[in-house]
Amino acid sequence: MEFVQVIAFGLLLGGVYALLASGVTLIFGVLDVVNVAQGAFLVFSALFTWQIWDMLGFEPLLLIPVNGALMFILGWAIYRGMVIRVAPQGPGMTVLLMFGVALTMEGILNLVFGNKFKSVTPPYFSSSLTIGELVLPWPQLISGVVGMAVLGLMYAYLRLSWAGRALRASAQNKDGAALVGISNVKTSAFAFGIGAATAGVGGVLLAIMYPIYPATQYDWIARLLGIVVLGGFGSIPGAIIGSMILGLTESFANTYLPQWSSLFFYGTILLILLFRPQGLMGTRTREDVA
Amino acid sequence: MIAKLKRPRVLVPIALLAVLAVLPFALPDSKYEQSVLIVCFLFAIMASGWNLISGLAGYISLGHSVYLGIGMYTGAILGKAWGIDPMWLIPLGAIAAAVVALVIGVIVLRTKSHAFVIITIAVLLSFQLLAANLKKITGGSDGLIVPQPSWAVDLGNMPYYYIFFAILLLTIVLVAVVMNSRLGAGLVAIRNDEGKAATIGINTTVYKVTAYVLSAIPFGAAGALYGQYLGFVNPLGAFAILTSVYLVLAALIGGRGTLWGPVLGGFIVAFANEFATTSSGGVSARVLIMGLILILTVMFLPAGLLPTISSRLARRRSKGSAVTFIDQAAIAEQHDEIPIGRLIARSKADVDRATPILEVRDIVKRFGGVTAVAGVSLTVERGSITGLIGPNGSGKTTLFNCMTGTFRPDSGRVLLDGADITGDKIWTRAHEGLGRTFQITRLFKSMTVLDNLVAPLERTSARQMAAGRYSGEEVERAREVLDFMGLAQFETQNAAALSFGQQKLVELAQVLMLRPGIILLDEPASGINPTLIGKLAHVIKRLNQEGTTVLIVEHNIPLVLSLCDHVHVLAGGQILISGTPEQVRNDPQVIEAYLGPDHMLEVPHA
Repeated sequence: MEFVQVIAFGLLLGGVYALLASGVTLIFGVLDVVNVAQGAFLVFSALFTWQIWDMLGFEPLLLIPVNGALMFILGWAIYRGMVIRVAPQGPGMTVLLMFGVALTMEGILNLVFGNKFKSVTPPYFSSSLTIGELVLPWPQLISGVVGMAVLGLMYAYLRLSWAGRALRASAQNKDGAALVGISNVKTSAFAFGIGAATAGVGGVLLAIMYPIYPATQYDWIARLLGIVVLGGFGSIPGAIIGSMILGLTESFANTYLPQWSSLFFYGTILLILLFRPQGLMGTRTREDVA
Repeated sequence: MIAKLKRPRVLVPIALLAVLAVLPFALPDSKYEQSVLIVCFLFAIMASGWNLISGLAGYISLGHSVYLGIGMYTGAILGKAWGIDPMWLIPLGAIAAAVVALVIGVIVLRTKSHAFVIITIAVLLSFQLLAANLKKITGGSDGLIVPQPSWAVDLGNMPYYYIFFAILLLTIVLVAVVMNSRLGAGLVAIRNDEGKAATIGINTTVYKVTAYVLSAIPFGAAGALYGQYLGFVNPLGAFAILTSVYLVLAALIGGRGTLWGPVLGGFIVAFANEFATTSSGGVSARVLIMGLILILTVMFLPAGLLPTISSRLARRRSKGSAVTFIDQAAIAEQHDEIPIGRLIARSKADVDRATPILEVRDIVKRFGGVTAVAGVSLTVERGSITGLIGPNGSGKTTLFNCMTGTFRPDSGRVLLDGADITGDKIWTRAHEGLGRTFQITRLFKSMTVLDNLVAPLERTSARQMAAGRYSGEEVERAREVLDFMGLAQFETQNAAALSFGQQKLVELAQVLMLRPGIILLDEPASGINPTLIGKLAHVIKRLNQEGTTVLIVEHNIPLVLSLCDHVHVLAGGQILISGTPEQVRNDPQVIEAYLGPDHMLEVPHA
């Protein structure tokens, strides 16, 4: 039974990771930008959740749309204000730019919230759902399910809507998309906004699961980037698979081999990259005559 | 030599280093200043080391401080275990970093751009976790106390100051030597266009791994010393991602890819760091300030201080002087009298003249459900000009890519001089005498025409890599080849400044430097004007007279038919017909393949 429990736990964790990593991979797919500030966005959203909850004491999950919208605006603004100017200099420079954004945000959050753990503890924080012998803590359950649901909505939107089609067209061929009337600037800003919004939603979910303080952004960057590299850059299914692998490894390692969990994950990444440098679901860029 | 030393870009840094060398003696009470300068040296060492892989080769590593941590732990662990004077641990730290970098580099350098950036972060964090978890060796998260060197305590930081200073000087020398070697030129070529670099014989794997290992060595040496300086090591301090970000920031501010930029940047970042910590107190402010500096640098000073200053100065200097005008159409008369055969002849004598120079057997290549090449066999006879034509979608380019190594065929074999090269790396093919050009030229755009010509390598060897950039007979040979092609006037121009047609000729000249037995030309006539096509045809004929075999993939049928001795026609992934131009021209099948079965217009009934 412990085994099933561990798997269930891993998948729920994977659900939250999947939402966050999809944001990173979406931004990458459309813009070719590795958003290393996703961790900082996430921590920002989580601390904001803590602040509101601490002041007003109402259900933190209600903040999901608020934080999502807030981070969408922030992401959109960061793209229009900074990324768009640095993008022509290539991927290395945009990574560094986003690192600068992450450090700046961490610094500001440190000044505002201090360098202490903050925990959001709604009434269900320490209760669990028991099905037979399976014990699932409510925060994990809610976060995993909500994470997957939001991801499902986002994915459906990207598949079915005009805006989603524009995004995919732009991701595949910028010039071609522009020729058929898709503004690259607008789709890119939109994609950046959506990517950041996943961190807005994810931040709320993390806030009810873990204590947060500004420097935890590094743990999150590391996890998310690992997932994206493992799954293959720009692939949302890849990000989901990578998230599940990470969720399961962490869950298993936490139960059977505590402390080694992240190392296990990085080891897996290095091994997979040795054989598939493009990641599990990534496509090798065609290096051609032209 | 003396004249060279008088130039400000050499004189200024050397004067500044001289000041730093005498500073502790000139100001004996400068304990605080020395401690700040030690951090400056450390950052300058790291930024310069990083410059080798990330500045020159363009592989941006965001986890390079892992090698500082490895140096620190090597010093701490071995110092404790062996009880030798800790100073001896500096070279061991360097060796440990080099060994780890070799193992890691072989793996991570398989990835490119984004994935590489990220995987380097993952490596750093992995080591942090390893250090925290291998408690027996590393003391876990509590860390280790580092044995202290034996010099007298009243010397204070002075010994550290000088040893760090010495490591910095050695690092600068290392970077300077690499930059002026063929290794350095190859790394810049890789930064410009890695795929292209492989086709001119640069073993990109060996080059990148070498640069990666060399870049780790200064970190390891400095790390062993830094651990002693701090007195203890712990996982979070030794393998800190912030250190990596700061050192990248240092190289960026100063100017990556330059010799002195990272050194200058190291000083700037260390001073900013010190200022942020002392003036505003606390880590939060420091992170904030560094973050803002990073954003501002990336947005407003992406090239870095030194390159920006020197291009400003150059612009001011050139003000008023005549503008160099590059005639985009002009090609000087070729110099047919130049004995091009001697310049490009291969010294490979043991091949039977009767063996076809290039042969493919039963090549099959599928993409998903599409079979692009369905079992093609053909030979290119030694000394011939052979054409490969066929309508769009007939599989020419795929077959071409299987020959050059861009694609690996699903089955079938490629033979060069009778030897199987099907699985050979692209650079090995270049070494063995297979040269190629590209339909859309792929010259190294940031390099001059001459630099483009001396970049090709006929083999991979340590001696070759260490040789000076312009040493040996290559430069002379490159000039003669350029002269032969009528390109001598463009020698010092940037490749990007030339017209497309001129670039095509330069690319051909570049391939000639490999002394190829056979040259594969991918649509040489596409996108260039008729006059140039004529010149090109003339050059091809001349090269052929001197014994070079040529295979042309081309859409310009008149050119192919007039130039070639033998033509293979592909259609639907198979050979339709092979024969002389005359046979091909008159074959109804060929006409049908190009124009379709219904090409005869129906005569309208009156």
